Amino acid sequence: MKRLSIALVVVLLVACAASAQHIRIGGFGGNDTVIVEEMIELFVRPALEGTGITVQYEPISDDFQRYIVNALSAGTAPDLFYMDIFWAGSLIRSGVVEPLDEYFAKSEVLKPEYFIPSLVEAFTYEGKIYGVPKDFNTLAVFYNKDLFDYAGVEYPSNDDTWDTFYAKLEKVAAIDPNIYGLALQPEFARFGALAYAAGFTPFNADGKTDLFDPAFVEAFKWYTGMAETGVGVMPQDISQGWGGGALASEQVAVALEGAWMVGAIKGDAPNMQYGTALMPKHPQTGQRGNLIFTVAWGMNAASPNKEAAFKVMEILTSEEVQQWVLERGLAIPSRQALADNPYFQQDHAEAQANYTVFLGASDGNVLPFHFGEYGGEWMDPINQALSAVMSKQATVEEALREAQAQLDALMGR
Amino acid sequence: MRRASSKVGEKLAPYVLLAPFLFTLIVFFGYAFVRVVYFSFTTYDLFSKPEWVGLKNYVNIFRDLDFTRAMKNSLTFMVVVTTAQTIIALLLALLLNQKVRGIRFFRAAYYMPSVASSVVVTLIFIWFFQRRGVLNFVITKFKEYQAIILLFLFAAAAIHIVLVVWEKLRRRPVSVFEPNFMFLGVLIGFIVAFGAVRFGFLVPREVPPVDIIWFNTTKTWPDFLGSLAFPIPLGAIMLFNIWTTAPTFMLLYLAGLQDIPRELYEAAAVDGAEGWHIILHIIVPQLKPITFLVVTMGLIGTLQMFDQVAILGSQAPRSSVITLAYYIYSNLFPSSAVPRVGMASAAAMFLALLTFIIVYAQRKVLGEEGENA
Repeated sequence: MKRLSIALVVVLLVACAASAQHIRIGGFGGNDTVIVEEMIELFVRPALEGTGITVQYEPISDDFQRYIVNALSAGTAPDLFYMDIFWAGSLIRSGVVEPLDEYFAKSEVLKPEYFIPSLVEAFTYEGKIYGVPKDFNTLAVFYNKDLFDYAGVEYPSNDDTWDTFYAKLEKVAAIDPNIYGLALQPEFARFGALAYAAGFTPFNADGKTDLFDPAFVEAFKWYTGMAETGVGVMPQDISQGWGGGALASEQVAVALEGAWMVGAIKGDAPNMQYGTALMPKHPQTGQRGNLIFTVAWGMNAASPNKEAAFKVMEILTSEEVQQWVLERGLAIPSRQALADNPYFQQDHAEAQANYTVFLGASDGNVLPFHFGEYGGEWMDPINQALSAVMSKQATVEEALREAQAQLDALMGR
Repeated sequence: MRRASSKVGEKLAPYVLLAPFLFTLIVFFGYAFVRVVYFSFTTYDLFSKPEWVGLKNYVNIFRDLDFTRAMKNSLTFMVVVTTAQTIIALLLALLLNQKVRGIRFFRAAYYMPSVASSVVVTLIFIWFFQRRGVLNFVITKFKEYQAIILLFLFAAAAIHIVLVVWEKLRRRPVSVFEPNFMFLGVLIGFIVAFGAVRFGFLVPREVPPVDIIWFNTTKTWPDFLGSLAFPIPLGAIMLFNIWTTAPTFMLLYLAGLQDIPRELYEAAAVDGAEGWHIILHIIVPQLKPITFLVVTMGLIGTLQMFDQVAILGSQAPRSSVITLAYYIYSNLFPSSAVPRVGMASAAAMFLALLTFIIVYAQRKVLGEEGENA
């Protein structure tokens, strides 16, 4: 009798193990913890009822990239995880991310065509798709309405060129020596959008970077020149860590930021009246430039439950989930179908900001925010050059020559 | 029979007691070390299989500009910080070894920087050194009030000198640094300076705010050292590293000072030694074993300096603050690129070897007493 019951228990356990599939999801900590947990509770769990699939979110509050590299290497990585466009390439090339093409072919609800092509393209490597973009961000002109009103200047608009934009900033900066037009974060992550507008590409036909490309030099001079004339200021010089902080301090009228700015304003300057406009157009090319920041869901190539993991991915990237995320003002959906969303037409600053950022992805010279195998190291010399010129430690010529030398060394390695 | 087994037990006992420590040492240090030695001869990215490349990594790190910069930064950092912190620790210990009322408070106060975690201290320092930070503010204020401060110092010194000379002329036994006169000097100096400002003889100068960029610069200092000069951001890190580590070593020196037999001081006093003679001929030689310990720990600690560079992050140009330890880390976890474990391992092996050689050389220089103690 006793033996029989033990045998029964064992059989039951084995049966359970076979049908119960546990999917671990890895992502950022902080705000994302709350959002994803709620998303799982509201959408994923109900949809998976009866399938025996359970899900668990594992937030990583530390450096996520370092975590996922280590976890994938050690074989302890979650089944699904966030992949930032900035570093996704290095993981994909290492072969630890599962290509999703076969799953798309079998799926009825999740097809790459449903998503904005430039986003899918960003996660495509050698013809295979490795990630489903969950949301994205671009840069937009965020401006403080009060400062523009005070200066009696028209707000920045979608028709602005660099010249008209500069003229407006100049007038706002004239209010007071401690008021500036533009927050000049000394980083390619902001300045790059302007360089792209002028026609610069990070890598030329030979795969090399040429910082003496006239387009780059022009954008560089325009951007850093504002620090010299006092039309703009580096956030660090007014004790702010980033452009958004500078805008929220109300000492600076404009910052070039993404939709993350909406939350930052809510937190740091809830009473500030703000508006958004598309990035200014280059006066000669007539083009805007922009960077796409995006995060995708990637699948662990070593996951034991790939089918189940894909099922979870289907729910996480479904239209209803993206609609929910959008309506809460959390992120901008990656699905094309959501472009004509009524949410975007609402008449308040947040919805307008999100819409502007949404439009930024498909207007002008837009490139995803990643730099091939060089990653962040590619930007370092440029960031240093920006900072050196704007803190008056080097001339444009000196700074660019130094940066070019560093880039050549990096690429020659 | 019983005796034999107890003897065996006695022989085994130390190993049994050591086992837990040995176990962690072998697993987390020995095994890891062997792996690093192996990886240093391979190219490995944490994902694909390591590929044997012989000495290529060692050749490559020396070709890497970043590595040579890191080595130079690490060595300058080591020399400056170890020297300064050893001297400051000794002076602090001498100061705090006196029998003065409230000395316990000062001992605790001086030890505070070492108690705080280096992450917290580094964050404080980042604010401290900002372009509109405390340090630049203090320098600006100093420039504004320069004339007044100089007047105060000059008046205080003048009063003091006059009093001392007066007493000496009257052939009274008086020390050059008579505390009472000093107090009087400071008091009168203050009154003079205060009066000068109050009645408008002196006004604070108008000076533009000092704008020294401490972090975000590739400039070096001091100029006359040419290529041996260190980058200013590294200098800032040196300053706060000295500030946080000196107190720890001060504790060691304090303990050492209390071990010096009183007879030695008494004998010296009989021989008429005072002040610097006692420090140079009694205290410093007696503290030699402690100095050996302090310098060794200082050398190892400074060569491994990593956290402050990491926390400073993008606030300072990489080339100005990169150290060997940070070079290793940045190769292992490069920003959004594939890990270069081989390069990192080769650099780590080099750092280990360098540390070993420097500490060994230091032992030779400081003599054998250190070893015997």
